[in-house]
Amino acid sequence: MEDRRPLLRLITFVAVAGCMNVASCGSPHAPSRHELIDSRDEYDPRSLDPALSVDVPTGRAVGYLFDGLTRFSPDAKVEPGLAERWEVSPDGRVYTFHLHTGVKFQDGRPCTARNVLHSWIRALDPATKSGASQFLFPIAGAKEFNAGTAKTISGVVIRDDTTLVVTLTQPLAIFPKMLAMPVASVVPDSTPANFGEHPIGTGPWRLVEWKHDDYLLFARNPTYFGGAPKVDSLRARIIAEPSTAVAEYESGNVDILEIPASEAEEWVNDESRKPQLMSTPALELVYVGINTTRGPLADPRVRQAINYAVDVGKIIERLVGGRGTRAAGVVPPALAGYDSTRKPYTYDPAKARALLAAAGHPNGIDIELWTSSTPLYLRIAETMQAYLNAVGIRTKIVQREAAAARAAARKGQTDLILKDWYADYPDAEDFLYPLLHSDNRGAGGNISFYSNPAFDSVVTASRRELDDAKRTALYQRADSIAFADAPMLFLYFYDELYAVQPWIRGFTPPVIFNGQRWIGVTIDTASKGGGR
Amino acid sequence: MSRFIIRRLLLAIPTLFGVLVVAFLLLYVAPGDPVESMVGERADSATIARLRAQLHLDDPLPIRFGHYVASVVTGDLGTSYITNRPITQDIRERFPKTMELAGAAMLLATCLGVSLGVLSARRPGGLADKFALGVAYLGISFPVYWVGLLLILLFAVALHWLPPSGFGGLRFLVLPALTLGMRSIAFQARMTRSSMMDALGADYVRTARAKGINEWMVTLKHALRNALIPVITVLGLDFGAYLTGSILTETIFSWPGIGRYVVNAISRRDLPAIQGSVLFLSTVFVVVNLITDLAYAKADPRVSYQ
Repeated sequence: MEDRRPLLRLITFVAVAGCMNVASCGSPHAPSRHELIDSRDEYDPRSLDPALSVDVPTGRAVGYLFDGLTRFSPDAKVEPGLAERWEVSPDGRVYTFHLHTGVKFQDGRPCTARNVLHSWIRALDPATKSGASQFLFPIAGAKEFNAGTAKTISGVVIRDDTTLVVTLTQPLAIFPKMLAMPVASVVPDSTPANFGEHPIGTGPWRLVEWKHDDYLLFARNPTYFGGAPKVDSLRARIIAEPSTAVAEYESGNVDILEIPASEAEEWVNDESRKPQLMSTPALELVYVGINTTRGPLADPRVRQAINYAVDVGKIIERLVGGRGTRAAGVVPPALAGYDSTRKPYTYDPAKARALLAAAGHPNGIDIELWTSSTPLYLRIAETMQAYLNAVGIRTKIVQREAAAARAAARKGQTDLILKDWYADYPDAEDFLYPLLHSDNRGAGGNISFYSNPAFDSVVTASRRELDDAKRTALYQRADSIAFADAPMLFLYFYDELYAVQPWIRGFTPPVIFNGQRWIGVTIDTASKGGGR
Repeated sequence: MSRFIIRRLLLAIPTLFGVLVVAFLLLYVAPGDPVESMVGERADSATIARLRAQLHLDDPLPIRFGHYVASVVTGDLGTSYITNRPITQDIRERFPKTMELAGAAMLLATCLGVSLGVLSARRPGGLADKFALGVAYLGISFPVYWVGLLLILLFAVALHWLPPSGFGGLRFLVLPALTLGMRSIAFQARMTRSSMMDALGADYVRTARAKGINEWMVTLKHALRNALIPVITVLGLDFGAYLTGSILTETIFSWPGIGRYVVNAISRRDLPAIQGSVLFLSTVFVVVNLITDLAYAKADPRVSYQ
């Protein structure tokens, strides 16, 4: 997802902005094709093997080809997938899943409970080299199998072809959500070595062709148990340059466009395009991780000072085209656990200076702010640098590629690091637990190395709580503890902006990356490109 | 001649070995970790440690290097850490596409550039010369991505004549080839012009004219052939550069070539993919240089290789 072409982006933006008026003259009409065309992938999926899915293009494609026991709707609710229903034991540890009968893989083989177990074993097998197997660790015995100390996953029992009983190591209310992740998808019994190239699932689409760095072509699975897609085929084009995707959209060659943040304002202000725009609250938090173990940053007053020193509202307005909700915690507005009454840190340089002095740094401190080379992040980092310098937090920007910066942060080598966090599954837990729980310090996601027993115990309790209302209250409490401790500079939650061609019916932008499988989407060939 | 080719090919071996060493060492000291790209944002430190061990990333450097050289010698460039696909298969899929684009760009550069150069040299200061000068200025000063986007906006979005991006038939090739070849057209035009002016002022051209040979024959047969050496040099260098990936052009036009492959590999720290493609592309460069040298002899009889 990284942009490695800062200069290119800047100049193309200017060029495209300049030519936009000329460009929009040639309004395309509804196409005669019976194929949906997506333009969102910026790079080739790494593989179509669900076990290897850790990136968005892969996760999306896996969602077309495969099913898990559960899945997400576009608005990020958990829905039944291969499991038509499930029961939870009163202690929250035992899940009994009842599978749809008669489900078949795209090659005709039946899909039964045995396949589910086999798929999880495969994802957990070290030989598969999955980077996401830890999402199955809540299942009793999964971790032991993964570590090689057990021969099978003791927590999974196949009662019959359509009944699967899963025992967890401890109660985990969000377990059904984890099963909608790509890694938990169900694959056939025998998978060839090149399964990542020639996948076979039970999903609504089957793979026809994969031209690397060019496109993936899917055809509808007419016998899909959940109701076959309405359009013959689906093409996911891989378009590296966002400006090119915009041009393809303008030419009517693609149906869906995710508008780059840098161009959002211009689209929103264009009356003729307004009817095509759709907005969705992405489950993406943009934040600055503050390493709470490094020097003066161990003092919460210094971390609060950092939060008071930066005018985040202005950053959202000027650099993100206003497409962000100011964060006052880590739980996004779209999820239960968000507390709209909590007020974000205000922009108050005097208070920041006072807090610094109170913490014993009247002459200020020196810190490093790490960032990836994404143009937007560089601009945000430079702006924050100016704000921080102004209150005596002398900031040096360290620019690295995203993966290198993240590796340094995981090893605790960064003071401040500007980054984002995308939800793996739509639940407040996927923000509170990985980002801030002490179990996850370092590689697990907590690059603030934040460790607060009070916070930990509330989050741990929330993970076990089966009652939705009580769990939501716990999420809110945990979030407010962390907010006060300021283990990060809370920036914003990004609101994604989509453009959808006027001839497309039934498309809702997904809140979570694998929440839109194009099943009910149709092309209205009679459409005249209305609104343009 | 064949002895020359054999000698040059033998000399390529130490060159490529040097490339291998440098590529290996640079990646070793560069920050970043391929396992980071394999595990994503929310990882587990035990998984990271195990993947590192499985990929032998914790082995001592000389041992890793030894293993790598041993497999390269047998023609195996390894398997990508990220995609689990063999590197040779990835290169085989992408290189022909880069070759198609580079070939088309070179064809444009040679036809348009050399013609413009010849026309300008025939009447320096004339209309053709002024036009060629204009083309050259534009070609050299406009950045590739800017021209690429303008071409897309004009020919694809506004006029609907050509597709904005993608890979396919000739229609998909026109805009990227023009974008990529533009700079070469400009260079070739200037290079051919100055080289032709020298040749047209030479004694043998005066002799040829004195014999009463048709002026076009003089220009094309006597002068151009002798003026071609520097032109071939530039063509060879440009062609080598285009074959090794025209990252900007491939990115703008979503051309599934080797340039984007290498950039993706680098950003994911996919060591086998980076090393394999660097090695492969260096070989391509060596071969293109050799062909350039052989072309000198073909163009100019004074050049001969023993």
